[in-house]
Amino acid sequence: MSQNTFTAAPPPIESKPTLTPTNRSRVVGIAKRLLPKSYLILVLVAIIIIGYYVSADFLTIRNAENVIAAASIVAVLAVGQFFVILTGGIDLSVGSTMAMSTVIIALTLQTGLNAGASAAFTLGCCAFAGLINGVLVVWLRIPPFIATLAMMSAIKGFSYVIQSTSLIQIFNQDFISAFSRGSALFVRNPVLIFVIVAIIAALVAKFTTFGRSLYAIGGNPEAARLSGLPVARNLLITYTLSGLLAGLAGLIAAAQLQQGSSLIGVGYELDAIAAVVVGGASLMGGKGDPVSAVIGVFVLATIINVMNLVGISSEPQLLIKGAVIIVAVFLSSAGGVQRISNSFSSRFGRSAVSARA
Amino acid sequence: MSLDTDRRQDAPEELRLDGIMKGYLGVQALKGVSLSVKRGGIHALAGQNGAGKSTLVKILSGAEIPDGGDIYLGGELQKFREPSDAQKAGIHTIYQELSLVPSLSVAENIFLGELPKKVGTVVNWQTMAAEARKALARVGFDLDVRRAVSTFSVAEQQAVELAKALHKDARVLLLDEPTSTLPLPDVDRLFTVLRSLAAQGVTLLYISHRMDELYSLCDSVTVLRDGRNAASISIADSTPADVVTAMVGKSLEGSIADAALRGERSPRLGSGRRDKMLMSVAALGENERVSDVSFDLYEGEVLGISGLIGSGQSELAGLLAGARHKAQGHIRFDGKDVVFHNPRDAIRRGIGLLPQDRKAHGFIPDMGVAGNITLASMPMFSRLSVINRRRENKVATDLVARLGMKVSSINQPMKTLSGGTQQKGILARWLARSSRLLICDEPTRGVDVGAKEDMYELIRDFARAGGTVIISSSEITEAMMCDRVLVMARGKVVAEFDHDAIDPHGHALVSRFA
Repeated sequence: MSQNTFTAAPPPIESKPTLTPTNRSRVVGIAKRLLPKSYLILVLVAIIIIGYYVSADFLTIRNAENVIAAASIVAVLAVGQFFVILTGGIDLSVGSTMAMSTVIIALTLQTGLNAGASAAFTLGCCAFAGLINGVLVVWLRIPPFIATLAMMSAIKGFSYVIQSTSLIQIFNQDFISAFSRGSALFVRNPVLIFVIVAIIAALVAKFTTFGRSLYAIGGNPEAARLSGLPVARNLLITYTLSGLLAGLAGLIAAAQLQQGSSLIGVGYELDAIAAVVVGGASLMGGKGDPVSAVIGVFVLATIINVMNLVGISSEPQLLIKGAVIIVAVFLSSAGGVQRISNSFSSRFGRSAVSARA
Repeated sequence: MSLDTDRRQDAPEELRLDGIMKGYLGVQALKGVSLSVKRGGIHALAGQNGAGKSTLVKILSGAEIPDGGDIYLGGELQKFREPSDAQKAGIHTIYQELSLVPSLSVAENIFLGELPKKVGTVVNWQTMAAEARKALARVGFDLDVRRAVSTFSVAEQQAVELAKALHKDARVLLLDEPTSTLPLPDVDRLFTVLRSLAAQGVTLLYISHRMDELYSLCDSVTVLRDGRNAASISIADSTPADVVTAMVGKSLEGSIADAALRGERSPRLGSGRRDKMLMSVAALGENERVSDVSFDLYEGEVLGISGLIGSGQSELAGLLAGARHKAQGHIRFDGKDVVFHNPRDAIRRGIGLLPQDRKAHGFIPDMGVAGNITLASMPMFSRLSVINRRRENKVATDLVARLGMKVSSINQPMKTLSGGTQQKGILARWLARSSRLLICDEPTRGVDVGAKEDMYELIRDFARAGGTVIISSSEITEAMMCDRVLVMARGKVVAEFDHDAIDPHGHALVSRFA
């Protein structure tokens, strides 16, 4: 109900000049517009402030590097996941694809192929796995949840079969340097990778016909189809992209751990999904942006880090993480911010009426 | 039959509505509706979409609480707060979409919520099966009551639903378009069942758009229009045309059509030119919904496709726009044979569809006005698939101004606009793409009077500039503004009228509706 009153036709252009906004209402108006977008950063800042007070080790460069290194893998996954969720789908297979990526890169490096070619081959394989997801969803019309759940299992089995031992070590220093140890412009490479991925994703989402059509497909697939958008093609691209980015995340993980194993990445798909929804995307599709998804990753990663530093054991950590996800999703996609600001404004409205009376 | 009718005339009044009123946010759906049905009568409720039928059904089934007016059942005043109140009183509703639990057995569905028990909480399956069979026998069906409902046909499921209502001692049955999903032979069987129920003293309120059904089943009809009683008609002393006339009414006051009829303005939306053929359709068909439709369409023409709701005009519009797949026939467009595999194919040729269900098919709710307007023309202002935002915004701003759309900014989410402004936004989408043929499926449904007039003006401007328009509409006044009108009934084109051949009240058109 409250949402209805909020969406009930804003004033038309003609009536604008008759409004005489006071300073306070102008401030309230700006805040209202910014709040749903910037609350995530506020949450992140709040966590950082709390971290600063509870642990002396928190605001150190070394710790920041740790947080970012851990988060960069999930951030890359979350960007791919964001696009899939934007279309109203979901990709549960990204954790497995990431594991497959570590196995394939380890195997190809073992054959003596150079780092660049190995990485390209690996990414190609992962993109292909994503494409299979897309084909299952688009042509076989299997619901994304089921299709990618099946692929999650199949890809994991496939990586286990091809690795044949429990893990394969990676010795190629070029590769380890490119995806983990190396740095450019004083920034570690994994950080550079996810920042570049996030920026490109943000530009694609906002400024390209492809990005726009994903918002349309997620917002109303039938209207998108009737408007002549290439729905099938764009869905295929989206799932392929998610596979590709999962492969990229796998390369970072392989370089950090210096090994390939089918056991890497278990549960990462859920972390990526959680980050995307914390970032304000709706699982129904059509809403959100990739940068918020990445911020969502950092919100969750920072909370985990603070809890690690103060010595909270892992089970209560899960509990708190669950609570954070629920609060964040209530505030963003469930319209909590709007509902709270509505209840405020209705209270303001009422007091204004009574003051006049 | 006559014996039956006599008996019904002597029967006491079973259901009476007195001045039922119901308003929703800003819309008065019912403005005082009254009706009366005798015990064992089969009474029809007819009216256009938006006339108030569904609201009345909701009120009678207890799903909505009326703002005013009284409901009497067997002479007793009723107050329904929720659906279970209505059911306790004996009013049961059979909706278009059946409301059975597909995975449960027939018997369980019939007894849903009150399974017979023996010793504590153990379900007495024998009693249940026997009683279920008995209830089904009353509606003339003999089914395996232990099988899951989902394994039966639609007709059989409907029988289960009827049996369920009878088992719960229904006195009044509301049937909301029960035949819309039934094959023809099953319709006859359903009617036999309904007649026998009426003979047993159950009172039926039957809602349907199909005149043939009303006239073969019912004994009287109440016609609603704009939330009011438009007519109470005895089936025996009338023809389908009487009902249709009452349904569509003559509410022309103040409309373009009205002005046109009084000779103040050109009555036509289109130019009426017939020099250059744009589209030629031959023997187009899609299963039973549309069959054997052929017509030619000329540039600058506004062609109406009229008929009662569900006569196939909406499906035809979808076929022409590539939104549906044709099963038979050919389309020539602009001198070439074309096959539309999807809307994209049609859009590329310059065809744009304004869908009937705006919300479900028309726009992206959370996307801004500008994004919605440029949805079909993005490639036109993007290079290497990067959108030129400045050009996009300019195109959107120009169209918003040209169409007089009331928006606070071009980025205002589409879902927050009024129905009329949304419709203009979808029209703008095709104007942005310089479409040559607009296919408007019920273009003014759910649009207020002012915006309705605007839509007509915009369509007229479009046709004057050389554009071609097809208007699929069940509104008689709308059809009368077209250069030419095809009348559809049961999926076929049954008549064609030139604009000038239609009398001022549209009787000629309406007479072909039923």
